[in-house]
Amino acid sequence: MEKFFLAVALGICFLVLLVLYRVVFGPGVFNRVAAISAVGTKTLIILLIVGFLYRRVDMFVDISIVYALLNFIGCIAVAKYLEMEQ
Amino acid sequence: MIHRGEDVIIRTIARMLIPFIQLYALYVIMHGHYSPGGGFQGGVILGASLVLLLLTYGYHDARSRISEKIMIIFSSLGVLIYAGIGFLCLLLLGNFLDYSMLSRILHVDAAHARSLGILGVEIGVGFAVMAVMVSIFLDISTGGVLPGDEEEKEKQVPVSEV
Amino acid sequence: MEVTLLVQAADESFAILEKARVRAVDLMNTAAKLTSETRWMEEKKVRAIFRGAQETRAGLQNFAVTFVILFLFWALLSGKYDAFHLSLGVICCGIVAYLGHDLLFYNVRAGDMRVIAGRFLIYIPWLFYQIVLSNFHVARLVLSPKLPIDPKLMRYKTKLESDTSMVTLANSITLTPGTITIAIENGEFVVHALSRKVADDLNAGDMEDRIAHIFMEADHIYIQDVLDVARIFAALR
Repeated sequence: MEKFFLAVALGICFLVLLVLYRVVFGPGVFNRVAAISAVGTKTLIILLIVGFLYRRVDMFVDISIVYALLNFIGCIAVAKYLEMEQ
Repeated sequence: MIHRGEDVIIRTIARMLIPFIQLYALYVIMHGHYSPGGGFQGGVILGASLVLLLLTYGYHDARSRISEKIMIIFSSLGVLIYAGIGFLCLLLLGNFLDYSMLSRILHVDAAHARSLGILGVEIGVGFAVMAVMVSIFLDISTGGVLPGDEEEKEKQVPVSEV
Repeated sequence: MEVTLLVQAADESFAILEKARVRAVDLMNTAAKLTSETRWMEEKKVRAIFRGAQETRAGLQNFAVTFVILFLFWALLSGKYDAFHLSLGVICCGIVAYLGHDLLFYNVRAGDMRVIAGRFLIYIPWLFYQIVLSNFHVARLVLSPKLPIDPKLMRYKTKLESDTSMVTLANSITLTPGTITIAIENGEFVVHALSRKVADDLNAGDMEDRIAHIFMEADHIYIQDVLDVARIFAALR
């Protein structure tokens, strides 16, 4: 079971690398913001799988919830700033 | 950046989420000895929820909850709780922040007294961190002059030169 | 003599026109006062959200329901059910519910919360079923080699009235794959749809009817419909 989850985690890491292309080369800042938000979503899943691999899922669930909240608030803050700039 | 947003969706979702975010922050503070968390982390999440309130509703509408005066009171209150518990242990003939001396007034054994003492200082730290987070956000986003202060500045009579 | 009669008639018509003009100016002033009053009332309602319990009715019921929901959330998060942690939970939930009791349920009539909650729980399995159907449809579109998509931006007016129901509809539209709500401007939805079939589903308004049924909104007759019918009737006579 652990090998399966390890393979899933590596697969999601590869998907994060694909999204990083948009972060680096995205023409304009809106593409970069949306890509960073998507990277945050995948980071949550990787955190949970790492928690399962270390056999202490309850600890990592707390950290995942906090990261999801901060991702949401950060996305709204950046969007508000960009709207104000125009 | 702290003007009222016009989008209905973000306003409604933010106002529904904020009590849950605050409750989660208090959970993180209270369970610091058992799961990752503690005073500083809970204070940051609490500050983040108030920043969300400011971002979506604007300073003018949120002023009754998050004015500068309330934030100054909370930061001082947090430091007072921390230093107060320390001095209480000093008054009970122990060292500074020697929580086992609290077992004299609380009538529990020394281990429980230490646990309760740590919980008390974590609550103090949480208050202080929340207040400082919101103050820093208000200072950076408005450049030091809050939207309500301009009228007060005009009312001040300048000192005349002799 | 006809000239004087003509001059008198002209004078009287000018007097009537002048009176009509004065009345029109009065009506315009009342209308302006009413719109500024409605704007002031809306601002007052918004300020009432942030000024605590005194200005909204059923404040105590809001506080109780918020407290119960938050305490269930606390019991879910904290795995320890001994007296010390539960009493800490009661104190924390009490503080948060007191400070934010008018944030969670804004302007809900007092008896309706149970009915709305029940209908909402029945709506959720139907939403899951729609999400599964849309998933299959979008997967078939995306995986076929010639990519038969037809993306377009649609605007349409809704019959929903309150904030909560509009946000529920926007979230349901975004959750089903193939459509994304972009904004809500003045009661008009701006939706981006991926293909013709998905756009037709949206125009049929099935989701909107169900959400209006949940929040008990579209149950009454609209005044504008009655006025339209009356005008058509008068024109036909």
